[in-house]
Amino acid sequence: MFLALKELTYSKGRFIMISLIIILISWLVFFLAGLGNGLSDLGAATLKYAPIEYAVYEENSDFSFSKSMLSESLADDLLKEKGVTAVAPIGTASASIRQKNSDEDTASKIDVLIAGIRPGSFMEPIVTAGESLQASNPAGVIVDRSLELEGFKLGDNLTINGSTQEMEIIGFTENQSLSHQPVVFSSLEKLREYKYAAPSSDNGIKDVVNSILIQGKESEPKEIEKSIEGVQVGSKKEAINAVPGYAAENGTITLMVGFLIIISAIIIAVFFYILTSQKTQQFGVMKAIGGSNWFIIKSVVSQVFILSVISILIGILLTYATAAVLPDSMPFNLIPSLVISYSLVLLAISVISSFFSVLKIAKIDPLTALGGKE
Amino acid sequence: MAGLQLKNVSKVYQEGDFETIALNDVTLAVEPGEFIAIIGPSGSGKSTFLSVSGALLQPSKGEVSINDVAISTLKEKELSKVRLEQIGFILQTSNLIPYLTVLDQLLIVKRMGGKVTAQAKEYALRLLADLGMTSKIKKYPNELSGGERQRVAIARSFMNDPDLILADEPTANLDTKRANEVVQLIAQEVKSRGKAAIMVTHDERMLKYCDCVYRIEDGVLSREE
Repeated sequence: MFLALKELTYSKGRFIMISLIIILISWLVFFLAGLGNGLSDLGAATLKYAPIEYAVYEENSDFSFSKSMLSESLADDLLKEKGVTAVAPIGTASASIRQKNSDEDTASKIDVLIAGIRPGSFMEPIVTAGESLQASNPAGVIVDRSLELEGFKLGDNLTINGSTQEMEIIGFTENQSLSHQPVVFSSLEKLREYKYAAPSSDNGIKDVVNSILIQGKESEPKEIEKSIEGVQVGSKKEAINAVPGYAAENGTITLMVGFLIIISAIIIAVFFYILTSQKTQQFGVMKAIGGSNWFIIKSVVSQVFILSVISILIGILLTYATAAVLPDSMPFNLIPSLVISYSLVLLAISVISSFFSVLKIAKIDPLTALGGKE
Repeated sequence: MAGLQLKNVSKVYQEGDFETIALNDVTLAVEPGEFIAIIGPSGSGKSTFLSVSGALLQPSKGEVSINDVAISTLKEKELSKVRLEQIGFILQTSNLIPYLTVLDQLLIVKRMGGKVTAQAKEYALRLLADLGMTSKIKKYPNELSGGERQRVAIARSFMNDPDLILADEPTANLDTKRANEVVQLIAQEVKSRGKAAIMVTHDERMLKYCDCVYRIEDGVLSREE
């Protein structure tokens, strides 16, 4: 550590250049990670951040909300299953909405995803403005804040396009999106009145819902499938991946960040390797006067460690600074858990890549310190 | 018997089908307080001699003992310990660590072995005072003259109170006045501290400071009268 710090402060210029590289790389990694997460939020935020362990669907529905129809009464049966602590029935429908009394042909319409839930269930989002859902007001809805940017306000009455159904915005919430559409949380009754308005479109199922979400880490999906007929139980992950387009989209982003990390690993490794190569003579002298391999390796690796920690921290600051000036319409959501995991990955990469230099150091012959070999 | 002993030491380099005998059956003893010089043309085996004596190279045949410890059976890790604790190297110029101050150049030797104590610091300051470097302890190598750098190297070689001092062309790149000063200082420190010392040089002007002179030619060591 002593040697590492002395050299860092002595050759500031050189190390500033190297840390600049690491700063830029970590900036890019965090920025892409934030954008990637923002994009994946648009695809499935409502499910991603939902406090659920499993989701119950109709058998053979491929964990898809739109293919699955269940009776709400199943919720009570599920509650009796081992390990299940809470349940939340949910029904979803795509719709486009406009201001009430606006002209159907000329008014601006917004595509949304209506999610019917039980007021007070764990699927009800925290409101950032207005109030939560009331059982006494089935037409009241909580909508994603992105609708506010489109000009909708608390108390606005909405008409669902192509339907006579009307809703009233009673609350706003944040980061609620599914299939790239802002989510409108309504009562289950309201959802059914809209989605299953046509006679027998509910296949004769009483109080139809699309899925029942389950809380309870101890619950056993296999047992549930056995004891309740005609259902399939998916994990939270399976439910998210079944959102149309989500898996492909997320795969692309992961691949991009993955490649970026591999490439940065190579760049960082090469930089430190060159740096070590330049100091061959110096390390030879240290070995000749009695420095062990371990002494020199410790100093090199701790130098890489210090340099990386500082650079990554600056990279994080830069990322948040950039995010602050991004337009609101840009999907960017860098959550702390992502920052921590990518920081650790970058740090590990730097330190591991310095091991190539370590191999080089171990091979340096202390004889290089003498005038020349004969 | 303390100091350095070489008994029938040979070093052979294998290069393809050729064998180069760099050291040929060399026997030599250097006792504490003795300062000897090795001279010889380039390619004569001087550096090999120094490397073998300094625990940098293992001999092909024969035995080297430093302070009664035979080093031919030691592993690399133990060799570096021997170099750290029992040998002081004075290398050619510019072999100081560029980013350390004069004082730290000496203390790093202590760090290699563990912690730097207050006594070690005091000892380093005394050594530097002996060599007339007190006013330069905060300087970096690039702020020193060639002679001053060699003084630091001398001080560094004495830092761990070793039994054996090895100097590899310590006067290379120095003018006559500075060269004389540097070798005089080595001789003075060796005598006053009772070290066994070997200086490899091609600078015959420096031989007057040594107790005896050996010539090495084609790997064969012989005493000069």
